[in-house]
Amino acid sequence: MIRAHSLLRHREGLAAWSMVAPALLVTMVFAVYPVLDSLWLSLHHIFVGIPQLGSPFVGLDNYVALFHDPVARQALVVTLAFVLLSTLLELACGLIIALVIHERFRGRGLVRAAILIPWAIPTVVASQLWRYIFNDQYGFANLLLFGDRVTDYVPWLAYPGVAFAVVVLTDVWKTSSFAALLILAGLQVIPHDLYDAARVDGARMWQRFWHITLPLLKPALLLALLFRTMDAFRVFDLVFVMTQGGPGDATQTLQFYGYQTLFTEGRIGYGSAISVAVFLMILALSLTYLRAMGSNLLERRRP
Amino acid sequence: MRWISPTQRIQRPPQSYAGTVFRWIGLLILILLPCSTGIACAESPPGAAPASSKPHVTLRFVSWKPDHARVWEEVLADFTRTHPHISVVRELAPHSSTAYHDLLTQKLKNRDATVDVFFIDVIWVPEFAAAGWARPLDDIFSPAMRQEFLPAAIEVGQYDTHVYGVPSRIDAGLLYYRQDLLAKYGFIAPATWPELVRQAETVLAGERQTNPLLQGYSAQFKQYEGLVCNMLEFVEGHGGSLMRPDGTGSALSSPDALAAVQFVRDEVIGRLTSRAALTYQEPEALSLFLQGHAIFHRNWPYAWELANNQTRSTIAGQVGVAPLPGFSPGRAAAALGGWLYGISAYSQHPDEAWALIEFLSSQAVQKKFSREAGIAPSREALFSDPEVLARSPQLRNQGAVLHAATPRPRSPVYPAISHLLQRYFSRALAVDGLDLAQEAAITDAHIDRLLALTKAAR
Repeated sequence: MIRAHSLLRHREGLAAWSMVAPALLVTMVFAVYPVLDSLWLSLHHIFVGIPQLGSPFVGLDNYVALFHDPVARQALVVTLAFVLLSTLLELACGLIIALVIHERFRGRGLVRAAILIPWAIPTVVASQLWRYIFNDQYGFANLLLFGDRVTDYVPWLAYPGVAFAVVVLTDVWKTSSFAALLILAGLQVIPHDLYDAARVDGARMWQRFWHITLPLLKPALLLALLFRTMDAFRVFDLVFVMTQGGPGDATQTLQFYGYQTLFTEGRIGYGSAISVAVFLMILALSLTYLRAMGSNLLERRRP
Repeated sequence: MRWISPTQRIQRPPQSYAGTVFRWIGLLILILLPCSTGIACAESPPGAAPASSKPHVTLRFVSWKPDHARVWEEVLADFTRTHPHISVVRELAPHSSTAYHDLLTQKLKNRDATVDVFFIDVIWVPEFAAAGWARPLDDIFSPAMRQEFLPAAIEVGQYDTHVYGVPSRIDAGLLYYRQDLLAKYGFIAPATWPELVRQAETVLAGERQTNPLLQGYSAQFKQYEGLVCNMLEFVEGHGGSLMRPDGTGSALSSPDALAAVQFVRDEVIGRLTSRAALTYQEPEALSLFLQGHAIFHRNWPYAWELANNQTRSTIAGQVGVAPLPGFSPGRAAAALGGWLYGISAYSQHPDEAWALIEFLSSQAVQKKFSREAGIAPSREALFSDPEVLARSPQLRNQGAVLHAATPRPRSPVYPAISHLLQRYFSRALAVDGLDLAQEAAITDAHIDRLLALTKAAR
């Protein structure tokens, strides 16, 4: 009897493992292995153009160099500014959009579908689109602002600050709807009787929003924040298509710098160090968020 | 069996909408995924080869997307007709040199045996040679054969006493100008930059009423490889150089190099040309000239054909071309560009690959490219060929410019050096209140450190 029981448990364990195995294998091959390999490469000095150097192990040299690299420092500042500005703006726009499409009105289904369009467009296409909008000769932005006064047309992307702002704007346009989608899902789960009760108590619209909607939206907002921060940290295609990092490195982000070092310059060790640094930063950020979200979820479970 | 009537249907939990939303997201991701894959596309070989006694070989030719697709298809069809046992499969990569480099080197880093023939940009020869990606051609590309090409074109194909590339098309920076406008004000093509500025001011003052969009100059100042070419021309034209004469170090801090950059910063950007030039690569700058919005324009030889193309240009027949000016008479400089054919070190079919390269770089094919695609030849003889000159009279002047063109720094780590140069020049031109001498010194130090690495390896 006891033997049969342990056999059953053993079988169950085996079945469980065999069911998890494919997912585990895929994660190992496509997530864990590349990360560890990058980490290993980042501890070496490898120049594709100088194979005579071999690939000597240099310990943390690449990371020390990265810390003192003025280009990397500039790229870090640009990346952090981009992350901060774009996520805050996207969350704000996403919240407004979600509140609007949460309301009942005629043609809501159509509006909801339309809101998704920017997010459904591939980033490369969207970037090209916005590059044209801010073109100095035939861009729509100039036409809108100056009409026929062609001599007043502004070369937006030629000014470092403006070029950076345009990249942020494009990202906000592109991904606000994604934030809106997540927030909308959060809005749907807020029980309606809370609003009814508040109304009975005489709470105004603003008060209802501040005391009911916003606190109960917190998990959804945090989730959107997590996704958007991670994505913003890895911004690459926008920069690649719109500015190539220019003018004067004003839109040079860490990911683009990493790409240039790895793929164009062939500095495998240093490029890997940049990727690993970005990875560690994102990891730290998401762990912080997850901790915040986790405690939040636990709180909600208590009666 | 019990039926659930619609009214009896179980109340859905509130999360279910969120569920549908996420399902929608999943669906969208599934739809969008295929769009993001497939960077390069393969082309099927042109024309089927008839049976032959030799074993059939399929060559893989990694090429950028050509401007004149029809001419290329005809040429390759000709090759398959004369070499029935070889078929050529082309893999088309993006047109941009840097994008093409990244794709091609990715394959070569992996020792991909499905690459036989490729293009080498003149700036990559040291890298391809040092990394062992390009096959040395010393035994097949004989000195006698080399003599038939422009010396500068052969020289860029060499590294460390070996030759790695056969010249395909060779480019040099040229000054295009509006012949009609210059003639109207009694000018001839300027020999120096100060003269060019003076001419532009006079023409602009006279033409502003009729053409308010007219600019003095249009060129490529975006942060990319072309910026290095444009700035090299200013620096060399000022008597400076990007590198010290012995090639051991960067020379951006030399007085001549600093003065040249200062000139572009103060007199060119935002004055002679619109600030928009900081976002221009070749197509944008050329389009400005073709629309008749620029008096002077800097570009490669291919622009001649387009500028005189009745359907694409508003200034056809009014275009002149001359060497770029210097800062004192006779001190002109042109950046050397262009493409070489190379054979992959990992190719299984080097003999067939050589047959293809020999064919593509032959006199007849270069003539066809020059005649039908406006591509400057790299064979010396074609610059005095009456048939070619009748169709492209500009080659008479270009020959001299191509002979004297200046290569960019030659190093196996050139891509890294180029990024540092692009950064420095772009910051010098775009960032207000920059300490130019300090930026130059920092960039010099960076480049010197890279060069020291190469030296240590020798």
